[in-house]
Amino acid sequence: MRSVAAGHLLLGDRCPFLRPAPRLRFLALLTAFVALGTLTACGDAHRVAPALEVDDFGDTIRAGTRTNPARIASLNPATTELLFALGAGPRLVARTTWDVWPDAARAVADVGPGLRPNVEAVLARHPNLVVLYASAENRVAAEQLRAAGISVIALRTDKLADFVRTSRELGRAVGESASAATVIDTMQRTLARVRAATLHLEHPTVFWHVWDSPIYTIGAGSFLDELLTIAGGTNIYADRTEPSPQVSLEDVIARDPRIILAGASGKSSLTSSPLWQSVRAVREHRVFVIDTNLVGRPSVRAGEAAASIARLLHPGIEL
Amino acid sequence: MRAALLWLGIALVVLALAIAAIAYGAVPLSAHAVIDAIGGRGDAVTVAIVRTLRLPRAVLALLVGAGLGMAGAALQGALRNALAEPYLLGVSGGAAVGAVAAVALGASGPLMLPLASFAGAALAIGVALGVARASGGRADPRVLLMAGVIVGAFANAAIMVMLSNAPPNAVRNALWWMMGSVADAGWVTVAWLAVYVALGGALLLWLAREIDILSLGEESAAALGVDAARSSRSIFLIAALLSAATVAAAGLVGFVGLVVPHLVRSVGVRRHRALIAGAALMGAGLVVSADLVARLARPPAELPLGAVTALLGVPFFLVQLRRLS
Amino acid sequence: MIVFDRTVIRYPSARTAAVNEVSFAAPRGAVTAVVGPNGSGKSTLVRALLRLTPIAAGNIAIDGADLTHLDRRTVAQHVAVVAQRESLVFPLPVWEYVALGRHPHEGPWAAAPSRADAAIATALERAGIAELGDRSTEELSGGEWQRVRIARALAQGGEAFVLDEPTTFLDIAHEMAMFELFARLAHDGMAVLLVSHQLNLVARFADTIVLLHRGRVAAAGTPADVMRASVLEDVYEWPLLITRDPAVGAPALLPLRNRGPRSPSQSP
Repeated sequence: MRSVAAGHLLLGDRCPFLRPAPRLRFLALLTAFVALGTLTACGDAHRVAPALEVDDFGDTIRAGTRTNPARIASLNPATTELLFALGAGPRLVARTTWDVWPDAARAVADVGPGLRPNVEAVLARHPNLVVLYASAENRVAAEQLRAAGISVIALRTDKLADFVRTSRELGRAVGESASAATVIDTMQRTLARVRAATLHLEHPTVFWHVWDSPIYTIGAGSFLDELLTIAGGTNIYADRTEPSPQVSLEDVIARDPRIILAGASGKSSLTSSPLWQSVRAVREHRVFVIDTNLVGRPSVRAGEAAASIARLLHPGIEL
Repeated sequence: MRAALLWLGIALVVLALAIAAIAYGAVPLSAHAVIDAIGGRGDAVTVAIVRTLRLPRAVLALLVGAGLGMAGAALQGALRNALAEPYLLGVSGGAAVGAVAAVALGASGPLMLPLASFAGAALAIGVALGVARASGGRADPRVLLMAGVIVGAFANAAIMVMLSNAPPNAVRNALWWMMGSVADAGWVTVAWLAVYVALGGALLLWLAREIDILSLGEESAAALGVDAARSSRSIFLIAALLSAATVAAAGLVGFVGLVVPHLVRSVGVRRHRALIAGAALMGAGLVVSADLVARLARPPAELPLGAVTALLGVPFFLVQLRRLS
Repeated sequence: MIVFDRTVIRYPSARTAAVNEVSFAAPRGAVTAVVGPNGSGKSTLVRALLRLTPIAAGNIAIDGADLTHLDRRTVAQHVAVVAQRESLVFPLPVWEYVALGRHPHEGPWAAAPSRADAAIATALERAGIAELGDRSTEELSGGEWQRVRIARALAQGGEAFVLDEPTTFLDIAHEMAMFELFARLAHDGMAVLLVSHQLNLVARFADTIVLLHRGRVAAAGTPADVMRASVLEDVYEWPLLITRDPAVGAPALLPLRNRGPRSPSQSP
């Protein structure tokens, strides 16, 4: 159970079993939409393309969805944070128990968990729009909310590209497309700056500690791996494609990372464990603490997150 | 006469519990609003809460309780064992294997998960029957019980292996399913479970007199014209499939099949026709009140249903044990 | 009514047959007793009649019809069997337990029996347990339980009555009462097939005795024919004395003290 809870907190619940179908469908539809839109823009007023959009469950976002929902329920820490960044914070009427950033979010009504949400409690807040985390166990809630006549968008932000897409979709859904564009732009520019600064530096090998019983780390499928690369590090488990692979201590010792990154409690757990003393980076005191709130999920602060990692890996770097 | 009054009283209590389940929830609603909402009038959100969420959920809870109660009563009689219950016979293990496999493979939608868990349960039941037949204990209910326990143990091992290799969110999803819940109740689920419970219940009631005879033992049953081996296998199959259906609909809601028959016996019911019918009623009452507690204990979060049924069932069971000794 | 014709019954892992070409008949209107040492196959015959053990060769016929061709329920309507042992997992009041004997005659939707049912009252009466009607089966002594089980078989009705060691826990009075009951049932036209160790009572009340020894019929006939020291000593491997009981006129058996390794009989 500990690993489950930790996974939830630190990884934002990545599901490795990405379903390509809705994505491909979305891309295909988007392409079609763009193509059609271009054609109509060329002047044929009679051929209007329907505004067909698809969310991460593959469900259509209803055409005619109000573009300025006055009451928004956000059941996901990532989207709550994003909505505040987009300036839609005052319109939030419900959040999950885990959505505690920024501080203003704490003032929003807590309606329980974001996974298998309490639909009744959400309904009681009379939202116009509910933003769900697009995980399989939330499908029933999505249906129940739609049956009650409420617009639902299911989104998941697993990687940086998702974040860009999600921000745009959410911005469009709540009528803050301009803010969304700004947010994305700021984040991307910060990332570019960090990438440029670390490009010509030596990239140390890094082990990213997520949990140690059993040992979970990040793989190439993970957003954290993306940040790490931008920050000028090399993930020793970049050969594993799943976002949170489980590994053995022997293997970590064999791969001999130069640096270990961990959360505060993770670091104390590692440094106090006699077993982990066999890892050189632990012995030689190169376990550095990352702010798990900052780097936990793709968010508006991804740029800052990358910068913070870069400073740990390359002390004295100018950003 | 007294018995009829007693059962009327129990039926009224169950009805009251069902009404409470519709009237109370994470969101306080006035009685007037609830009644209006059932009729479809009033605020759209209230109507949605009452008709789409609470009503099917209450009905599903009643059905799950009735199904498990009947299955438990029939099995305890047919297998001549006061501790027999459907989950002991491999049903829960097999269903869990099916569900966890579905979750691990990413096919855990509202359609696939029940199908997978039912398929897993059916497979486990088949294996248990096969193991019992292969060990030659055609008529000995102990062999059937042991076969079920073995299959259940194997299933648990398989689940542990699957979960140890699964990513955290699959583990979480699987664990939640295994803790039991009627929160995903939709009218479609209610409909097919109702068919199962009605059919399974009717069959068990039809076989109730045979169960009376089976509980006398193999020789006496044979003396009274009952083929003990075939009969106990049929009852095992019907009761196990009925339980598998409840598991497919609501996950693992433990203890009901074990405790409810004892509760019914404690009010003096002995013959199995009345016992099975009474177990349906009391089982329904137990699960619907457990769901009520699960929803109201710590709003807006919900306790797992299986945990609450165990917590409610244990004290009853202890009282019953004391009376026995 | 019940006829065993060259019946051979073998248990799965046994080298020798438990019942080896046993033939005898239990006709209506008579008490037929099957006796023999432990392991001679007596109970196996009853199990075969209950179809709990398959027959390897030969057959068992009920009123001329082969047992294996008959529906179990039909057989139960005509033949009532009291097995050697029985224990209940869930206790019942005695009258309800006795009422279960009516099962072969009732369909699945028959009404629950009532305490006042005539068949139940009669059965309780005949078995001499009218006063036990409302007790619970878990409160009975060994003897009371045995009589309750006989009452259930009586409630079952039918034309044949098969009992496997029905009087092991009964005291003298109750045992005599039971044997008198068996005799009366036979007199009324039923076929009574009795497996028993009580050689003396069997000698007094049975019309035919079938003596089994290691699965075969060692002797069969009237009590006078079968109750001979030479025959019985061979089978039971114990020194015995057979006398004639002047009070009842039936052969009576007296086991003697063992004088060391098996020695031949002395008289009469």
